[in-house]
Amino acid sequence: MRRIRSKLVLFSMFLFIFSLLPAWPAGEEGRSRSFRLENGLRVALHEKRSLPLLNVVIAFDVGSKNETEATAGLVHLLEHCILFRGTETRSGREVSRDLRRHGAYFNAHTGHDLSVFVLSLPSEFSDFALQNQRDLLFGFSVTQEELDQEKAVVLEELNQMEDDPQRLATDLVLRRLFPDHPYGRSIHGRREVISEATVGQLLRFYRTYFVPENAALAMVGDFRAEDMERMVREVFGPLPSSGLETAPLPMAPPLKKIVFHREEMDIEEGCLVIGFVGPDFNHPDQYTMDILVEMLGRGVHPLLPAALRSRRNIVQTMNMAYFANRFGGAVIISMRVDPKTLGLARNEALRYLRTLHQESFSKTDFAGDAALFAFDFLESAKNQIRFAVGQSEESGLALAGSLARFMLLNDREDPGRYLDRIQGIRSSDIRQAAMRYFSRGESAAVAVAPKGVRVR
Amino acid sequence: MRAVRLILSVVILLCWAQPGGARTPWMENPEKIALGTGLDCLYHGDDTSSTTIVQIFVPGGRGAVPQDRDGLAYLATHMSLEIPDEGKARDLMAQATRMRLSVWEDCSIIHIECLSENLEAALRVASAIVQDPLLTGIRIDRAKTMMSLRGRAERDDAVASARNAVLRAFYGDHGYGTTAYGTDDSLKAIDRRDVLSFHRRHFTRPGVFFSVGTDLDKETVRALLEKHFAKFPAGEPVASPPALPTVPDDRDVVLIKDARQTYIGRAFVLPAPGPEVYAKALLLEIVLGRGPGSRLWDLRAAGKLAYNVDARTVWTKSSGILETYLETENIKSVSASAALEDVLAVLYDQGVGEDEFESAKIMAGAHFLRSIETKPARTMIIGLFEVLGLGHGYLSGIFEAIKAVTLTEMNAFIRDALGPGKALRVSIGPGDPDGPGME
Repeated sequence: MRRIRSKLVLFSMFLFIFSLLPAWPAGEEGRSRSFRLENGLRVALHEKRSLPLLNVVIAFDVGSKNETEATAGLVHLLEHCILFRGTETRSGREVSRDLRRHGAYFNAHTGHDLSVFVLSLPSEFSDFALQNQRDLLFGFSVTQEELDQEKAVVLEELNQMEDDPQRLATDLVLRRLFPDHPYGRSIHGRREVISEATVGQLLRFYRTYFVPENAALAMVGDFRAEDMERMVREVFGPLPSSGLETAPLPMAPPLKKIVFHREEMDIEEGCLVIGFVGPDFNHPDQYTMDILVEMLGRGVHPLLPAALRSRRNIVQTMNMAYFANRFGGAVIISMRVDPKTLGLARNEALRYLRTLHQESFSKTDFAGDAALFAFDFLESAKNQIRFAVGQSEESGLALAGSLARFMLLNDREDPGRYLDRIQGIRSSDIRQAAMRYFSRGESAAVAVAPKGVRVR
Repeated sequence: MRAVRLILSVVILLCWAQPGGARTPWMENPEKIALGTGLDCLYHGDDTSSTTIVQIFVPGGRGAVPQDRDGLAYLATHMSLEIPDEGKARDLMAQATRMRLSVWEDCSIIHIECLSENLEAALRVASAIVQDPLLTGIRIDRAKTMMSLRGRAERDDAVASARNAVLRAFYGDHGYGTTAYGTDDSLKAIDRRDVLSFHRRHFTRPGVFFSVGTDLDKETVRALLEKHFAKFPAGEPVASPPALPTVPDDRDVVLIKDARQTYIGRAFVLPAPGPEVYAKALLLEIVLGRGPGSRLWDLRAAGKLAYNVDARTVWTKSSGILETYLETENIKSVSASAALEDVLAVLYDQGVGEDEFESAKIMAGAHFLRSIETKPARTMIIGLFEVLGLGHGYLSGIFEAIKAVTLTEMNAFIRDALGPGKALRVSIGPGDPDGPGME
């Protein structure tokens, strides 16, 4: 698959699995551990010995939320430069050479909340992995010439995003969903800001936010936790803290209107993305929303596409995702539809979601014999989430990413066990959440149509 | 301290995922079990999660599609997954069982994924659908409509479009040259008899086999597959000789698309997959286009020509097709095309050096390990190795094969593969007549 796609898949996997983490029951304590270094770096280690791989994720609490209109795109540009443009002691070319010599997969992504750097390599190279990440992430250096080269790459990435109808529509929806909040700025930023960026600007971001107390390190793989803790303390312990203190952002307000925007591209199939503001990362409704998304848009026979097909047969494929950011969540519905029915598909989806709070989801909603014949959508969704938890246990990189995100985003004293929380959700909770988040229809939708096609 | 306590509690919660005495899947080759039903099963134990992946490999795939019936393999396989009534769909849904399909050059795969505790219930429903599909005209027409729309979405993607165009150019009218979803004309031409005939020919005992990744023990899996999949009819082994690719006289493939970026690619024919060839091809992909430090990476990092660069091989039983490409801003397309030519020419002329080769070997092994980390991916790779004739044992054999390649052999392989006059030149973009790759 294309590089950008794998990056996005990884990103969405992080988001999903992250929320699943607290699902897991207690076991052998010796296989995992967590601690905080004196310089503030949070660390979590987990042994996973099924493959001889080591997965290292370091996340920083800086994302597009920390930008302004004048700096929109600099965090993403900085992420690129850190990845590919070298350090005080090694050029970008030397870093690439070293990574290849150690069989490493290396990538990063910038989100609204965090910048996340991932590394996966054979576990025999664990010493290199730690030294390399420390050097890259805490010893960054770039020249104006190198920066200019990377700007061109970032602008090409922007072009690629704008050639992909689904990615373009999702970006436009997110911008319209949070109009008066930093989440309303595109993670990709503005072309003019990227084109004119200077080393000085980048270094200001870097020196402020890429400090140990603003970061979390998670490692999952084929190692002994005790040995790895010693190595982590040796490599990352001497890093100085900067005394960074950041004020939290305001929570994203709910959208107060219905937005519909249309774009045209040289494509054959129509693309429709609809977004709703959802619960934030630490909100108790996150569990209910996970179940709602499972019932409506995922699994074997999800309700929303079934409803659209039964009425007008207007949707071909549909995906649904819930992004639980720290200061406000987003529920995103993506569809591929016949271009002529883009407007109709949006209207029908909103109509269905507006009345969702009147539906029955569980056998407990019925009395007597009716309960025997009713399908239990709620139990089904809970089973699907159990399956997803099972699958998430298989990927070391995804587990490490989940841990790093959790360490930086969680504010709850006692988040509890995820599957316990899921198990405790009742049908009435689903109806209340549907009422709270979908019933007013306040949403942002973007339709991307083939050129010249009239959207109904 | 609150944060540390909290993190600690979460990390401790992780621990159960690795029970004591867990199997190490990468060290254990899958086992081939001959089922009492006459079918084979490739079993691979993995305790990492409590999920089970059952993949049914059906011979044929796109390569078995008759002329002008593009899409038939996908359609016939899809009909074997069409859930005939709401009740069965809801049974699957209640168990969190997922069923999907994929169509490859030499096989189709039906994927069944479930919680291991629900495997029996999942197989009961799935086997009824797969072994006795309801092939009515109305259902077939509905599936064709779906395929037509998916085909449109696929054509909207430059990389997928390029791959389809390359296979068409090398294999012509043979099934390998068709697209999975067919064309409007081919879908119109397919009728119920075509679907029935394809199904009867390929969904039979000599060719179908299972690949299973699970935490359940072998005997449990054997018993369940024998119990639920006993109805595949006997049939003749499918003996369609795989087609050999030919380099067309006109080696330029140009597709016009109004987009911000132009796709610039080159494609080459590789020999039939064998243990050595597969390893060398993987090494060549790594050298050319996989990640920072690859040859194409310079076009991105120093040349400012692209965000996306890549090199991939599509395998058929008869050959491999290596695609190497970048996507660039339209105004840079001519220089990007020339730069890609230069990279390939230098690699052809000078080969790889010792250092680069040793790094590529380490990268190739690690890359393969990562690609088999999850059960669905590993289960599929095991099955595909079997289909390609590499055998399921190549899951671990590939590491030895990579190690065994010498620098001299690698450079000889490169000279054979990337010879001048062998490249197909592909361009997808706004269509400047003096544009990319057409020099």
